[in-house]
Amino acid sequence: MSLLELKNVKKTYNMGKEIQVEALKGISFSIEEGSYTSIMGHSGSGKSTLLQIMGCLDRATDGDIIINGTAVKKMNDFQLAHFRNKTIGFVFQSFNLIGNLTALENIELPMIYAGVSRSERRKKAMELLKIVGLEEPEERGHHRPSQLSGGQQQRVAVARALANDPAMILADEPTGNLATNQWRIILDIFRKLNESGKTIVVVTHDPLVGNEASRIITLEDGKMIDDRIISDKAEKIVDEKR
Amino acid sequence: MEILMEAFRSLGKNKVRTFLSMLGIVIGVIAVIVAIAIGAGTTANVTARISSLGSNVIIVTPGFSGGFGGRSAAALTSVLQETDVQNIKNMAPDVADVTPVLQKSFTIIYGATNTVANVFGAYPDAFSILALPIQYGRLITQQDEQNYANVAVIGNTLATTLFGNRDPVGQTVIVTTGNVKVSFTIVGELQETGGKLTFDPDNMLMIPYTTASARLIQLNGGVSEILASAKSAETAANAVSEINNILYMRIANSNVYQSQSANQYRVVSQNAILSTVSATTDVLTLLLASVAAISMIVGGIGIMNIMLVSVSERTKEIGIKMAMGATGRRIMMEFLVESMFITIVAGAIGVGFSYLIAFLVTYLASGLGLMVIVTWPSIALSFGVSVIIGIFFGLYPAYMASKKSPVEAVRYE
Ligand SMILES: Nc1ncnc2c1ncn2[C@@H]1O[C@H](COP(=O)(O)OP(=O)(O)OP(=O)(O)O)[C@@H](O)[C@H]1O
Ligand SMILES: [Mg+2]
Repeated sequence: MSLLELKNVKKTYNMGKEIQVEALKGISFSIEEGSYTSIMGHSGSGKSTLLQIMGCLDRATDGDIIINGTAVKKMNDFQLAHFRNKTIGFVFQSFNLIGNLTALENIELPMIYAGVSRSERRKKAMELLKIVGLEEPEERGHHRPSQLSGGQQQRVAVARALANDPAMILADEPTGNLATNQWRIILDIFRKLNESGKTIVVVTHDPLVGNEASRIITLEDGKMIDDRIISDKAEKIVDEKR
Repeated sequence: MEILMEAFRSLGKNKVRTFLSMLGIVIGVIAVIVAIAIGAGTTANVTARISSLGSNVIIVTPGFSGGFGGRSAAALTSVLQETDVQNIKNMAPDVADVTPVLQKSFTIIYGATNTVANVFGAYPDAFSILALPIQYGRLITQQDEQNYANVAVIGNTLATTLFGNRDPVGQTVIVTTGNVKVSFTIVGELQETGGKLTFDPDNMLMIPYTTASARLIQLNGGVSEILASAKSAETAANAVSEINNILYMRIANSNVYQSQSANQYRVVSQNAILSTVSATTDVLTLLLASVAAISMIVGGIGIMNIMLVSVSERTKEIGIKMAMGATGRRIMMEFLVESMFITIVAGAIGVGFSYLIAFLVTYLASGLGLMVIVTWPSIALSFGVSVIIGIFFGLYPAYMASKKSPVEAVRYE
C-alpha cells in the first residue's frame, strides 16, 4: 500500500493584484512505504513547494493528497499538526534549529507536543544523538545550535526529525549548506534509516545527492517530466557520468 | 509545565525588553494600590477626628449657611433658643447631656500681647460632651455657671500664644470688642486636641454660659448652636429625631418662622457626619483609583505592543514548532503564558513597591497627619486586574501567532 498519494496536485501562489504564480501544475505520483525517493529539478521548478504540500505544511490549491488512506483536504489544522508530529520528520537546508534551546531540547520538542514524559524524552533524545553520530553527545547535547558546526547542527536536526519515530522523513536540500564530508555523513544516515524501513523523500538539485535514492522524480516548471526507478548501483554511476 | 519553562526562557532572553514591558503594569499597580491606600488612610484619619468629637455628639446648628462652624453662626442665631435647650433636657429621653453654645470672635489681651480667638460660652457639660480633657488647673464648674463667674479655661495653642512658657493658670486676660471689655481669670488649660473637625478647642477661650450671655454675647435668649450627646450610639438616631421634633413643634408654633421652619436648623449626629464623610471619601477613592486604573490599561497596551513585536520576530520559531507538530492552540498558549507571566510578576513587584511607598509615606509624613493604609482588597483588585490585562492584551498577539501558516513561518528569514 502506498504511504502517500498525490492526484493532480496544483499550487498557485497569489502575489496580490492579480499576479499569480503557478508553482505546481498538476502532479500525480505515489510514495511507497519504505522507499527512498529524490525530487530533482532546477531552481524554481517547484521542488520545495511540492515537499511542503507532501508534508502538510501547506495546502494544495487543487487536487488530492491521500496519506495512509486519509484525504488531507478533509483534515483540519489541528489534525494536520498531529499528523506532522507523528508521521513526518522534516529536515531543512538551513537546519532550522531553535536558537535558544540546546541540541537535546530541540530534539525533545516534537516529543513535548506528543505528550512524552520528561524522563523518557531525555532518554530518547540522547539515544537519537548517538544514532546520528554526534561526537561527545553527553557534552554537545547541552550546547546551543550556535555552538555546533553546520554538519553537527544538521545531524541534530535529523535526530529531531526522528524523535517521534515517524513513518516518513522529508528533507529539503539537507546537504545544501554542508561541506562534502559532512553531507556524506547525512546521506549515510539517510541510507541506514531507509534500510531500517523509513520512507525517505529528499529534495535536491544535486545529482550526487539525488542518486542515493532508488527513485528519482524530476520536476520542471511545476510539472513532472521524469520518474524513474533505479534498481542497481551500476545504473546510478552511469547516470552520474552523463 | 513545559509552556511555563518556555515562557521563562524566552522572556529571560530579552531581559531589558521584558523589564520595560513590566514597567507600565508595575506603575499602574502601584498607582491603584497607593490611591486606594491614601483613600483608606484619609477615611481613617477623618473618622478618627470625627470620633474625637466625643461620644455620640449631636450638633444643632441654625440654618444651612452656618454649616457646622460656629463662627458665622452668630449672625443667624435667634432661630435656636435657650428654651429649646430646656425642652430638649426635659423631653428628649435619649439625650444624655445638652448645652447651649454662644460663640464669637474677640480680641484677647494679656499684658502687651493680644490676639484674636473664639470665645466659647457653654455649660460645664460641654467638656464631657466634646470629651475635652484638662491639662493644668480645673474645668469650669456648675458653681461658676451659677455665679456668672469671670473664669475661663484656655486652649493649648492660645495659651502658648498669650503666655509663652508661663503657666496661664491664675493669670488674668481681657476680652474685648468695640467698647465691651471684660476680664477673666484663667483657671485651667486644656490638653492639646489637634482640632475636633468643626471646633478648634486648642484656640478657644471657654467660659461659663451665663457669663457669656450676660457680658459678651447678648442674643436675647438666642444661642449660636446647641450641643448634645446621645445616651448611646444605638440611640443616637432616636435622639436626633427627638430633638428635631422638639424644635419643629416650637418653631412651627411661633408664626415668625412658620413658613420655612424646616430650613431653619439642622440636627446632625456624629454617626451621620461619619457616614457622609466616608461616602465622600469613597467617591474620592474611586476617582483616584480609576485614574490609576487607566495607567494599568496603558501598561497593558504596552505589553500588547511588545508581544506583537515578539510574535513577528519569532515567526520562524513559530513555523518550526508548527512543522514539528505544535498546534495553533499550543502556540497561542505559549504566548499567552508569556504575557500573563509578565503581568503577574509586574503585579507582584507593584504590590511590593506599594508596601514600601506606604511605609515611607506613613513614616515620613506622620507629622502631617497623612495616613496611607494598604488594604487587602486593593491588592487583590490590582493583582487580579493585572492578570486580566495580561490575558486580555496578550490574547490578540497570541492569536496572531497561532494563525501563522507553518510554511510562511518556515520560509521567513
Ligand atoms: N510563498 C510564495 N509566494 C509566491 N511565490 C512563491 C512562493 N513560494 C514559491 N514561489 C514560487 O513558486 C515557484 C517554485 O518555488 P519553489 O520554492 O518550490 O522552487 P524550488 O524548486 O524549491 O527552487 P530552489 O531549488 O531554488 O529551492 C517559484 O517560481 C517561486 O518563485
Ligand atoms: Mg527549494
